[in-house]
Amino acid sequence: MSVPTVARKDFEDAVRSQMLWSMTGLLVGLIVLIYGAVRYFEGSAPPDELAAILALPMQVIVPLAALIVGYMAIVGERRSGSIKILLSLPPTREDVVAGKLLGRAGVVATAVLAAFAVALVLGLVLFGEVAVGELFGLAIATLLLGFAFVGIAVGFSAAVASRGRAMAGVVGTYLVFLGFWDVFVGGIYRFATGAFPPGIIPMDGRIEPWALALQRLNPMEAYGVVASGLMDQQVFPLTLQFPIGVNVVGNEPLEDVVIGEVPFYLSEWFSAVVLLAWFVVPVALGYLRFRNADLG
Amino acid sequence: MRRGDGHTEHETAYRFWAGNYDAGINIHPLDTANDMPAIETNSLSKRFGDVVAVDDLSLQIDDGEVFGFLGPNGAGKSTTINMLLDFARPTGGSATVLGYDTQKESQKIRKRVGVLPEGFDLYERLSGRKHIEFAQRAKGANGDPVEYLERVGLGGDPADRNAGDYSKGMKQRLAFGMALVGEPDLLIMDEPSSGLDPTGIREMQEIVREEAERGTTVFFSSHILDHVEEVCDRIGVMNEGELVAVGTLDELHARIGGDAHLELSVDDVPERTVDTLPDIAGVSGATACNGTLDVTCTESAAKAKAINHVEDAGTTVLDIQVEDQDIDDLFAELTGNGSTHAEGDTPEEVVA
Repeated sequence: MSVPTVARKDFEDAVRSQMLWSMTGLLVGLIVLIYGAVRYFEGSAPPDELAAILALPMQVIVPLAALIVGYMAIVGERRSGSIKILLSLPPTREDVVAGKLLGRAGVVATAVLAAFAVALVLGLVLFGEVAVGELFGLAIATLLLGFAFVGIAVGFSAAVASRGRAMAGVVGTYLVFLGFWDVFVGGIYRFATGAFPPGIIPMDGRIEPWALALQRLNPMEAYGVVASGLMDQQVFPLTLQFPIGVNVVGNEPLEDVVIGEVPFYLSEWFSAVVLLAWFVVPVALGYLRFRNADLG
Repeated sequence: MRRGDGHTEHETAYRFWAGNYDAGINIHPLDTANDMPAIETNSLSKRFGDVVAVDDLSLQIDDGEVFGFLGPNGAGKSTTINMLLDFARPTGGSATVLGYDTQKESQKIRKRVGVLPEGFDLYERLSGRKHIEFAQRAKGANGDPVEYLERVGLGGDPADRNAGDYSKGMKQRLAFGMALVGEPDLLIMDEPSSGLDPTGIREMQEIVREEAERGTTVFFSSHILDHVEEVCDRIGVMNEGELVAVGTLDELHARIGGDAHLELSVDDVPERTVDTLPDIAGVSGATACNGTLDVTCTESAAKAKAINHVEDAGTTVLDIQVEDQDIDDLFAELTGNGSTHAEGDTPEEVVA
């Protein structure tokens, strides 16, 4: 099994690149900025709010950074020719794809955990009190979010033969999940039911569970669900909201929002499964194309 | 290695190599080692759309031999090697390396083969030492990485420098060092001399010889004949996707005819003499031009007969020049390619 060997080399390579440090620097910088601003303008804030406030910068940086960290993982080696060095050694193509996924996930995890460590220390220094459990919950959700986008990026990287295509793939993904997922779900809903989804805030009707589930396939939405589940605070996903879309469920219990019983696939743990699926499934699909590619 | 510079050294090297290879074969006779061929291809073919890169290639490399895979750029050598390593999938036929199917058992192959690919790149942010360590971990091999680096001339300071700062020659050396990790049973090298200066090429040939003495089979490609003829037991010549010749250097000479050219300076050239020269057994042709008679002989003995024939006709032979067919002409003839000599052989950078 050569997966750890490939992952380790990939991580070592990334540690020496700008990749890891820029991502960590960006996250830490934003945390310092936000905590500094709160301290300066407000003087203090409740610890649980200080934790929840980080959900926004995490959602701004982590998906984008994870896509950038991942999209060249395999196609970059194909273009440069270093993949020939790699595949001249015993690792199989499967090992290479899996190792790359783990290596890049390691980069994202290191940056995210470093950022949360800084948040913990900075919170203590500036405000004297930290909601450790809340921060920990948000960190777990953020790791899953990062893994989801790394998976998507490495999947594209395995599937295509040029840097441009990989980039188009991840940019498109980013736009869809942050910008236009609502439109897709609204369109599907209209197609299936003949009407646009009911608005939820303010509530003007209950929604079919499947439509909400579809909405939550978006890793950004899934992040909101998982983070809210792991924290006492409501975490709102960073996405464009369209009137024709399925709008975010606020603080209302799901029982009051969906039609009929709340199915298992609307539970919080299922959104964690969704994020893990984004980590694994795109890579598996990308591998199927990479497996038979000519690496001339 | 360009002809002209260090000709004496060149000649010495030739004898040196030739001598050692004989010894190598005696030490590792095929019958005691392994009957299984190191590499075998059966009607191996690769098409890219309408282009046939490799056409129906059937080739067998025996265990323990040093085989040179020769041909001009674009002849299909790299495509063949890519198929052996499962970088590219054949569109027809099959191949085995060390008895393993190249597609189904590629990992088993790569555990026992050292590869120096063509058109590769290294990890620019990792040092030479890290590269060797990675190859060792991947192959499950032990040993001091520095020993490999020293063997390929990258000991000392370069060992801990990032490969991104290496010259092309140093990158080639490092990749060669990675190929040597784990004492491979077979070395597959695609244009190993590319990027190396003459010293680098000689050092690499020296290591190839050591590996061959250890019993390693060596299969390498080149578009430069000099590099192949100096180290190889057998040569295969590719042209336009087809294997046009295979055998020892002597066998190839014999097969192509090993023509010798006899150039006679004469006072007068009777046309009848020119016309009747090819009637002599072993003379394949004769042309006359400005007091020079050019006779092509397929047998050595025919030369004297040809001269006698000319003198019998009453012509005075003023001077005689004999030119045996050069190995380059042989290559050119096989590949239908005029200029083959040391083309693109100028080292791009001098190895530090």
